Amino acid sequence: MTFLIASQLLNGLATGMLYALVGVGLTLVLGMLNIPNFAHGGLYAFGAYFTYTIVNLTGSFYLAVLIGPLLVILVAFVIESQGVRRLYAAHHDYQLLFLFAMALILQEAIILIWGPVGFSVLTPKALSGVVNLGFTVYPAYRLALIGMTVLITVALWLFLTRTNIGAIVRAGMENREMVAVLGTDINRVFMWTFALGAYLAGLAGGLATPIMGLTPSMGADMLPISFVIVVIAGLGSILGAIASGILIGIAQSMTTIWWPEASNIAIYVLMGLTIILRPQGLFGTR
Amino acid sequence: MKRVSLAMKGMAVAATLALSATAMSAFAADDEVVLLGIWPFSGPYADVGPLLDNGAQVALEQVGYKAGGKTIKYITRDSETKAGTATRRAQEAIDGEGVKFMVGPWSSGVGLAVSDVAQKNKVMYAFSGGTEDLSGKRCHRYTFQWAAPAYTAVEANLRVFKKNHPDAKSIYLFIADYAFGWSLQKYAEMLAPKFGLTIAGVDRHPLGHREFSSYITKAVAANPDAIMMVNFGIDAVTALRQIYNFGFTPKKPVIMAWSSGTEELIQLDPEMRENLQVGTNYYWTIDNPENKAFVEAYRKKSGGIPPGYAPAAAYGMTQAILAGIQLANSAEPQKAIEALESYKGKTILGETSVDAKTHQINRPYFILKTKSKSEMKDEYDLATVIDESSVQQPPELNECKDIGGF
Repeated sequence: MTFLIASQLLNGLATGMLYALVGVGLTLVLGMLNIPNFAHGGLYAFGAYFTYTIVNLTGSFYLAVLIGPLLVILVAFVIESQGVRRLYAAHHDYQLLFLFAMALILQEAIILIWGPVGFSVLTPKALSGVVNLGFTVYPAYRLALIGMTVLITVALWLFLTRTNIGAIVRAGMENREMVAVLGTDINRVFMWTFALGAYLAGLAGGLATPIMGLTPSMGADMLPISFVIVVIAGLGSILGAIASGILIGIAQSMTTIWWPEASNIAIYVLMGLTIILRPQGLFGTR
Repeated sequence: MKRVSLAMKGMAVAATLALSATAMSAFAADDEVVLLGIWPFSGPYADVGPLLDNGAQVALEQVGYKAGGKTIKYITRDSETKAGTATRRAQEAIDGEGVKFMVGPWSSGVGLAVSDVAQKNKVMYAFSGGTEDLSGKRCHRYTFQWAAPAYTAVEANLRVFKKNHPDAKSIYLFIADYAFGWSLQKYAEMLAPKFGLTIAGVDRHPLGHREFSSYITKAVAANPDAIMMVNFGIDAVTALRQIYNFGFTPKKPVIMAWSSGTEELIQLDPEMRENLQVGTNYYWTIDNPENKAFVEAYRKKSGGIPPGYAPAAAYGMTQAILAGIQLANSAEPQKAIEALESYKGKTILGETSVDAKTHQINRPYFILKTKSKSEMKDEYDLATVIDESSVQQPPELNECKDIGGF
């Protein structure tokens, strides 16, 4: 049983780090722009599909994971400049409706461009196969994924805490009016924050392809999980998003040991408990 | 006073228009038979809905939308793979469109709910899915089951697996946690000892699950000789992809007990398809003239992609309804049902008949062996049919003891 628990903790960590990437992207946008980005799942899916296309064109998974998420930024620019920005001054409902519509449009666009049938992406040769960890055998790609997502989150953390742009983003998440008053072009900050959130979603989508594969509905599958992460983390808390992503991943995998049927429900139970016991979220202050 | 008068006139016009519409609808019902295809155009099986719709249309086009001297008016509704939505929309179509015949949807749980609507409204209904209850304990005169019985599917899968892996001792089960999965799990546990197999473990997962690593870790720890999956669609494809990532397959075999065939296999890389045994209700290379005609017509609609289980099931269900109407030479559901109960003939599946006592359509179940990349002639040449089983469920195991009257 100890081996099984250790294996499931590892599973939870691998899945949770992926969730954390998606969750951080969403929390950045929510914290800064104060809008729940329903198109976030669609951007995650576009990241995966761009990655798949580039793998097919070049044969290189690494190149695809580098370029694919950057292309998602282009999609994000269009959504932000042509829609979200025009609605900053409008009632909250219009933003919600627009982003909800975008989620549907992105999913349908995937069907139109790539078709309704899903695809698979093989793990790169160097990361294929399994590693014997003593207590279990574990896919090399999943171990590498844990390492990659740790590196990405550390890099993101350094960017947000050690650079001027990061300081502006964090300040904007705390009080965007104050940032605007201090002479910063707040619209530009909004645009780049939206792009950064989209990049993280696209990167998670690209990295997930060898594990999850690709289907047009993959964004819709991921969206509820990313919102649960934000609720548990607390509004605008990046550290919280990382922690709650991992927490959700581990909760799902540990539930599988004793009550596999409830593994999907477990995360919503966690969310419900958080709302009841700590409405501002585990790491939130507002 | 004038305003009241105008309002009254408006109401009168509206009432007249409504009456005219009702009269026209009744007139249309005299000349046409309304067939409802209730398919999942959104929800967990949204990708399958258009395929089902295409399959049904091919069956109708082949008879020129006519049966029993009547014109068939085919309408569709979105089931969303939700029992509440599907039953409400089916009821609305029966009340508003005069539906007398129904086919669909694409989930056993939803199908069972729609079957109740069919019985209540005296509508002839055909379904295809893994639940044994439709032609079992919840059988009634208005519903027919096109898919093979769960017993037939499990027996074929285990028998062929044991024949090809005589040293195998145990299997581990991944079960989709709804009516379809439960039916097949019951027979897997019942029949495994008959083939010298033990069940090393069983995990049920929710419908729409996308992360199977936790289940795979448990299965690997139990060290079975094979994993048998009783799930479907994206769930099955995702699980298999992750089983491959964990290195379980191709070293050890995986049994996809109830696969859609083409639609699932095409999503997997050839390397992931190695050492797979695939059980399915249909595969497009079934060698008979009826199937060849269907495949040719379907491929014209689908841009060359051959049909999998979903379009074939929609085609088969629609064809069964049309056969009932044609044989009865009547658009009355009860007469069509009585006619279909004695049906025996050749369909895309080969020799097919109807069990009048249970409304189970007696038909074969197919076991496939997947092809390696070098064996494939083209991108759709995914597998070979290695077994065709017509072992039917023993009558004593069927809980449909009295199908009842109209």
